[in-house]
Amino acid sequence: MWLNFPVFASFAILLWLGATGLFLSSASKMLNRLAGGLSVLGTAVLLVFVVQLWMAIDRPPMRTLGETRLWYAIFLSGIGLAAYYRWKYKWVVCYSLTLAMMFLSFNLNHPETYDKTLMPALQSPWFVPHVIVYIFAYALLGASSLIAIRNLFVKPSGKTINAPVHMADNLVYLGFSFLTLGLLFGALWAKEAWGHYWTWDPKETWAFITWMFYLVYIHYRFRNPAEHNKAMMVLAVAFVVLLICWFGVNYLPSAQNSVHIYSE
Amino acid sequence: MPDLNCLKDLSEVTHQIFYPLFVSSRTNPHSAMSNESSRKTWKNPWSYREGAIITVAMIVLGFAMQIVSSGTVLRLAGFPWNLISGIVFLGLLVTVFFFLKKHPLIKWLGSVKAALPAILGFTFLVLLMGFVKQDEQSKNSMVQLLGLNHLVKTWPFILINVYLLILIGIVTLKRLTPFNLKNAGFFLNHFGLFLVLFSTALGSSDIRNLNMDCYENQTESHATDENGILTELPLTIKLLNFEIEDFRPKVAIIDNKTGEIVTDNGHQIFQLLDRDAFDLSNYHLEVDTFFALSEPVDQKYFETTAIGSAPSAKVKVTNLMDKSLTSGWICSGSFNLNPEALRLDENHSLILLPAEPKKFSSEVSIMTSNGKSQTAVIEVNRPFKIDGWTIYQLGYNTEMGRWSDRSVLQLVRDPWLPVVYSGIFLMMAGAIFLFVFGKPKNGGVENVA
Repeated sequence: MWLNFPVFASFAILLWLGATGLFLSSASKMLNRLAGGLSVLGTAVLLVFVVQLWMAIDRPPMRTLGETRLWYAIFLSGIGLAAYYRWKYKWVVCYSLTLAMMFLSFNLNHPETYDKTLMPALQSPWFVPHVIVYIFAYALLGASSLIAIRNLFVKPSGKTINAPVHMADNLVYLGFSFLTLGLLFGALWAKEAWGHYWTWDPKETWAFITWMFYLVYIHYRFRNPAEHNKAMMVLAVAFVVLLICWFGVNYLPSAQNSVHIYSE
Repeated sequence: MPDLNCLKDLSEVTHQIFYPLFVSSRTNPHSAMSNESSRKTWKNPWSYREGAIITVAMIVLGFAMQIVSSGTVLRLAGFPWNLISGIVFLGLLVTVFFFLKKHPLIKWLGSVKAALPAILGFTFLVLLMGFVKQDEQSKNSMVQLLGLNHLVKTWPFILINVYLLILIGIVTLKRLTPFNLKNAGFFLNHFGLFLVLFSTALGSSDIRNLNMDCYENQTESHATDENGILTELPLTIKLLNFEIEDFRPKVAIIDNKTGEIVTDNGHQIFQLLDRDAFDLSNYHLEVDTFFALSEPVDQKYFETTAIGSAPSAKVKVTNLMDKSLTSGWICSGSFNLNPEALRLDENHSLILLPAEPKKFSSEVSIMTSNGKSQTAVIEVNRPFKIDGWTIYQLGYNTEMGRWSDRSVLQLVRDPWLPVVYSGIFLMMAGAIFLFVFGKPKNGGVENVA
């Protein structure tokens, strides 16, 4: 059936498990290539699902938390693989696929009803670019935070830390540019929909805090390029703030009247 | 307490600020060589430490002013005072920068060492806003006194904003002189943000935001502002027609005892009634007849467009567990029609939920003070602009639903919007610049961010 999420998700998870296993166990170029192929295939399976879903429910599947997690898994798996090809670290793709699988499993445990209705405020040409740009930024920043979190546990020293931090920088700059665009798209849309570009609605407030934390990271790295560990700490904390903005706001007592909360 | 430290060292601070005014910085050889950890606070060159002290002092001072003024809600002066103070601020900033470019204090104000603590200080205030519900009376007298429930309109917020504007202004000027195209990305990001912060702060008091209740075929020229005060507008609006287009209604199963919608895994179970047959929980539904608008006569429903009519459907329901069959009418009801449920068994009933609006719009005729008349259709996400006003579709009488004859319009006027938008577009260009050229070198994004 077109909306059989468990089938698609399980299939993607199996492919990604295979890819992760191959990446971790093999040293041969041939098998690594196969692992890359499996990873792409997993992402493609989810893309097929999301396109079918879009057509079936007759609205962009970007309204609920679960739907955004689905896009996140798609982007993160792609970004992890791209980062692997660019910087040759296998752990990046393995971490990214693992996080993507976690999000998919979470969705498997929380089945969606795929409500077809879409409130008038969301019916705008801004809806798709705003959400897609944001989730893509979240995925890039998520990948950068995986590097930061690894750093907190593995504690690489001296030269071995330079390249991963360099990779984190790249991901943050890309992620931050998308985060900024998402925020500003949101402001322009808000002006069209609600009459003002910024109302300090709880979601906006937390989006702004998230933006500020990555701003701190960028400025700190610029001025103190040798302080790797502190920078990685900032990056790890920034991701916690990002998650509060994405999910946490739904549960914050200060945000109960937000006009901005994802429907469940 | 850092602010006490700040008072104690006041003479040292004044010395460090004013001494270089008269003596060239080259005569102070310690500035370049001094070791950061052994350097005395307030001794040039300043670092994160001074930045932190100044930021904290500013926040503490701000909250102290809040307490002294017993929790005032600040409102900045409107036109022309905001424009004048803006021009004076910009003039001072540029003048001070050009005359004291080499002064250690100005150099420091344009550095990350000043910027980072200020960013963190601002983040701290916004974090408070993230945890304390805004724009709502608080039972906690401390929250009320410090203004934590309306932080945007408090002294600490304004002080930190002015401080940030000074920092961003100076760093922008610093990178502009001498001019170098390599700094384009830097300029877009920083000056864009400067414009946005500057114009939103100054323009906030010139924004007019009014709600107008319009009734079909009636002319209205009054609207209420945020404080509920009725004001006359330079334009009159006649509501020609208000229209709602609904989605198909949803069917749901309720528990006969509680009347609540049955849930599965925390999700309410419902389906949009847009197909002829589908499964709902442990039941299979077949839709015999569906009327978008109908009224009951003798336990049957008939299509009509009379005021107060509502969606209804005749359904056949099979219990998938015991294969028992039930059939009958369900109706979502309206403001003058009772809803009708279908009892499935002793535990469950089937109901039709009120249809959700797909879109609602107002056809209006607008007359401006200079006699210009125009008709327009206004709907959510499609406002209409006339004479500096933007008119939005806000709401309607939800109790009457699609039969509402009242449309609530929102009228907004924001003369500073072009400046805000220029800032936003510069920032967007800056973000694209960062995306395309933002390759970090040793952690630095030298010319971009």
